[in-house]
Amino acid sequence: MPMLDEDRHLSDQELLLAADGELSTRLAAQVHAHLAACWDCRARMAEIEGTIVDFARVHRQTLDPQLPYIAGPRARLRAQLGELASKPQASSWRRLFQFASPMRAAAFLWATVFICALAGGLLFQHSTPRGTNLTAALFEAGAEPDRSLTPGATRRATVRDVCSMAHEEVVAEVSRSLRQKVLQEYGIVNANAGDYEIDYLIAPGLGGVEEIHNLWPERYTSQTWNASVKDALEEHLHQLVCGGALDLSTAQREIATDWIAAYKKYFHTERPLSVHSRVDSVTRPEISQVSSREDRRTSSGRNLFLFVLWA
Amino acid sequence: MALTDAINELSFPTAATAARLAKPSEIECEVMDLFDQLRNPVLRFALSFGIPVHDAEEVVQEVFVSLFRHLQSGRSRKNLRGWIFRVAHNLALKQRYANQRSRDKTASDWNIAEEQFDPSPNPEEQLSSVQRQRRLLAVVHALPEADQSCLRLRAEGLRYREIATVLGISLGAVSISLTRSLARLIRADGR
Repeated sequence: MPMLDEDRHLSDQELLLAADGELSTRLAAQVHAHLAACWDCRARMAEIEGTIVDFARVHRQTLDPQLPYIAGPRARLRAQLGELASKPQASSWRRLFQFASPMRAAAFLWATVFICALAGGLLFQHSTPRGTNLTAALFEAGAEPDRSLTPGATRRATVRDVCSMAHEEVVAEVSRSLRQKVLQEYGIVNANAGDYEIDYLIAPGLGGVEEIHNLWPERYTSQTWNASVKDALEEHLHQLVCGGALDLSTAQREIATDWIAAYKKYFHTERPLSVHSRVDSVTRPEISQVSSREDRRTSSGRNLFLFVLWA
Repeated sequence: MALTDAINELSFPTAATAARLAKPSEIECEVMDLFDQLRNPVLRFALSFGIPVHDAEEVVQEVFVSLFRHLQSGRSRKNLRGWIFRVAHNLALKQRYANQRSRDKTASDWNIAEEQFDPSPNPEEQLSSVQRQRRLLAVVHALPEADQSCLRLRAEGLRYREIATVLGISLGAVSISLTRSLARLIRADGR
């Protein structure tokens, strides 16, 4: 489109290119001059732009409500990248195999044999699932889940959905197979009965779903930031969301990112309130106490069912 | 001693590794920044292929992991937005093909349009708005796939040059496709 013919109307293509800023400065100036003088072309331009606006609106309106909140996927991606970054790249391996001399090649060969033998021994002794040694060590140290394993996962839910959930939906039972998977993922073997519960990071009452990325083994025995404290936070956030005082997506993001920080923020305290941090023989369940704990939780109407681990 | 340390590090990542994990590299930060900017547009684009949300989310994750590998291996940084959408386009098509094979029924934006809340002030306007929305979507769905992609990519703010990169077509073809699609939408809307 080197130059416009002044005597003819502009084509749709020329009008669209002008509207999208895809014309050269010279041609854009010619189109602008033509539009200033021609009502027909201005009317057609308005039709095109109006249709663009309508389509863009429809495009967003139909797809945006489906988009899950970004926090969970973001944490998952971050964990994946961290894992990838910790592995050596293929190109560096290639460099590793470029030996300067036969002596170095022989030394490498011996080192490889030694490493394989040692690694074999270590594997034999510590045959646990992916990343479990580091995971277990980090997990034992804190009351928060491992972000790479439990970034949180939500379903598409509105405030009305979460606030009108049926009792059986809130009290969702985690299947035994999934429970085992979560424990394996965290490298927990031979755990004492009642030490852990499989908890949701983002509670169903806040739109969380029952899948492995949203479940983690939470310690009952932690002295400060334990399962009971988190339950209180979940309850409180649910009330705020249903009362219209807090946005659902904000609640999901904050509990998934750092539930302890969220607790401090919403209860205005640096330590768990004594009424929330009851960790003793009464609240710490054994097998026979499963049902009573369940009753306590369900009586609140909103709390999660926390599956108690037994041997 | 060094060899033992290396073996230990491989077998049991230590605090040093944990610290490195905690402090992301420049490339990790760059990819995360792009994820923050483009996750929703890319997810919308993937969803527009009619695949379920969880599949679309997987596509997005794969796109950004691929981007990380792409940057890590020192490849071209030219037109990264176009690169991201191109990978999303290919993966979404692949996923849709896999789903079609398994006869996976999914809700497309066609069905969803009926469920959306419309903020129009009165029922008549609401009805009219829903009808227009349906009409527009019907026209979009009747367009050839390349035209639909052009239109959706443009709606996500991509320039013609980027759309051409994503779909592997010429700049002229992008312009013609968009013009044709808009003409049809205008006709259908009775403007």
